Amino acid sequence: MDDMSGLTYNVPIGPQHPALKEPISLRMTLEGEIIRDVDVRLGYNHRGIEKLAEQRNWVQNIYLTERICGICSHSHTTCFVQGVEKLMELEPTKRGLYIRTLVAELERIHSHLLWLGVAGHEAGFDTFFMYTWRDREVVMDILETISGNRVHYAMNIFGGARRDIDDQQKARMLDDLQLLKKRTEYYFKIGATEPTFVARLAGVGKLPKQTALSLCAVGPTLRASNIPRDVRKDDPYAAYDELPFEVCTADSCDVLGRVVVRVKELFESYKMCEYMLKNLPPGPINVKYPRRVKEGEVVSRYEAPRGENIHYIKSNGTDKPERLKVRAPTLGNYPATLVMLKGAFIADIPLIFAAIDPCICCAERLVELVDSRTGTERTVTFSELRQKAIQHYKSLDLKKRDSAWPL
Amino acid sequence: MNDEKIISRIKEQFQDKTAEVTNPAPRRIFVKVDRPDLLAVTRFLRDTFNFVHVSTISGVDKGEVFEILYHLANESCSLTVRITTPRNEPKVPSICEVIPGAVLYERELQDMFGLVIENIPDPRPLLLPDDWPKGQYPLRKDWIFERPEEKIPGGG
Amino acid sequence: MLSRLVRWSRIKSPWILHLNTGACNACDIEILAALMPRFDLERFGVLLKATPRHADVIIATGPLTRQSRDRMVRIFEQVPEPKFVVAVGSCALSGCVYRGAYNMLGGIDQVLPVHAYIPGCPVRPDAVIDGVAKLLGTL
Repeated sequence: MDDMSGLTYNVPIGPQHPALKEPISLRMTLEGEIIRDVDVRLGYNHRGIEKLAEQRNWVQNIYLTERICGICSHSHTTCFVQGVEKLMELEPTKRGLYIRTLVAELERIHSHLLWLGVAGHEAGFDTFFMYTWRDREVVMDILETISGNRVHYAMNIFGGARRDIDDQQKARMLDDLQLLKKRTEYYFKIGATEPTFVARLAGVGKLPKQTALSLCAVGPTLRASNIPRDVRKDDPYAAYDELPFEVCTADSCDVLGRVVVRVKELFESYKMCEYMLKNLPPGPINVKYPRRVKEGEVVSRYEAPRGENIHYIKSNGTDKPERLKVRAPTLGNYPATLVMLKGAFIADIPLIFAAIDPCICCAERLVELVDSRTGTERTVTFSELRQKAIQHYKSLDLKKRDSAWPL
Repeated sequence: MNDEKIISRIKEQFQDKTAEVTNPAPRRIFVKVDRPDLLAVTRFLRDTFNFVHVSTISGVDKGEVFEILYHLANESCSLTVRITTPRNEPKVPSICEVIPGAVLYERELQDMFGLVIENIPDPRPLLLPDDWPKGQYPLRKDWIFERPEEKIPGGG
Repeated sequence: MLSRLVRWSRIKSPWILHLNTGACNACDIEILAALMPRFDLERFGVLLKATPRHADVIIATGPLTRQSRDRMVRIFEQVPEPKFVVAVGSCALSGCVYRGAYNMLGGIDQVLPVHAYIPGCPVRPDAVIDGVAKLLGTL
């Protein structure tokens, strides 16, 4: 077998893979340990929701949009309901808006705790994973008391919220938020001062400021490159124009910056939830909505935990929408992810993509080798690789130094 | 900057080329342009008002024409540029040279509606499966899907 | 005698493989939450394994999209006998809200043979534990 140096490898990763939570296929072109090129194949999760939405009426569409994503389900319903309320020219009640915003901030808290756990797991810090998910259960309990379900809490209806919060739940929520605040301060200390954790995350996945802007990145990925864009401040909706909060940024443009941005956002969310619970306006939680929606079109934007969520809704006067276009935040971050992966080491893939394990263990694995000098392709079987390894180690002639037992 | 300033600058720059500019709600502007002027308008918006961010690109099937909306955003406003293209000649110029991040959304338009986007840097299909038959564009209004009969395991 | 020992170890310590065939991720997060300190499946000997070749029980979520169908069949064939498939969540049972979509077949049992169905949208972690225990009780 001829010399294998200078060859690039095409390695497929996905759709089912050890640490992948969702099916996605990446083809990496590797040279040694460094990734030269990356290609993403989407479409495993394509469920045809936009076509389905044209066949269901407005209320059924609330439940359809809820199931676009499991982790940020409230963001999709709120975005949709906001848009349709503008078409109906319906003004939701103050108390309904506050309850909507409260559930939105609780969802942001649970999503960031989930992400922190996954980041810790990919960095090798499993204890962090277990701790943050244990605290996430506290938030899930709160959400279950308010809405009845741990995920897919259907709290939105045109005109306000569907369920109310009473004083007992309020008192319990305030206590739980105090507990979560103490624990998050502990996590901030770990994240900022634990040397191995910081060394693992710093400098990985760099996304310079200009590239982030031109590739239309969204959410904490954008804010970690020191660009203060947040839909809650730029284009306020629900109760955000009355809530005091700040946009959190970091200026290190790498994975450590993203961790810092998310932890800072956790603190802002705790502050906002406490403010809302203490100043919940009295009154009814929703108003009656009309069956038919007037003709028109509307663009509705929302800041989901992962970035900017945008819905475009067009109505033609009947009880079914004419067109619903959804752009979820992660799709906006794909071009930026591909740029971040180029030039990175294989071992940084999990951190950058937050889902992939580079340790591929399987028996007969098909690897396609492209000879970079001649351009011919050749497949190499496992048995060939094993023979080569045996020859290589025999040629090295390793001597056992001072070993007590015989070879 | 507020909406009126943006609208007045657009009107004075492209007097006759923009057919209608509406402002239905605060921070929402809708501009209609003709197909050949799309690149010039987006370049002007990017350079003057900092509309560097494309939120998404939607397509609507209106029967005789396809309407394509480019949703742009900056720090204070969300502006939508609208163009139409006839159904029997669905060609649209690509805005990737102005804003490179729009390539995924244009690929999706090609997949779902069968539009042809000129000068797109990456023309592969984005969302539909590998064994999808050619010529079938799901989001067109005349494409109806008949669900095949399901077989129930262990049942009749 | 040996077969009784093997059967006892299979029941007492099933290793699971988690397959996501195109779901909204709510059921997947709930399956992971079942392994977390609150519901702790690992005290029953259940391990989340990385590769199909090590698994006993396949836990599949999501409606089968057309793109992921061939891959899922290939993975199913890679799991060694005896294997059990558990369909978790309404999407895997019959498609949930997405019934009638052009990219969907209508549930996992159209393509893979399923041994247990666990309903819910999303499924609660307690229900996952209950379902797997019931499945192993029939062995």
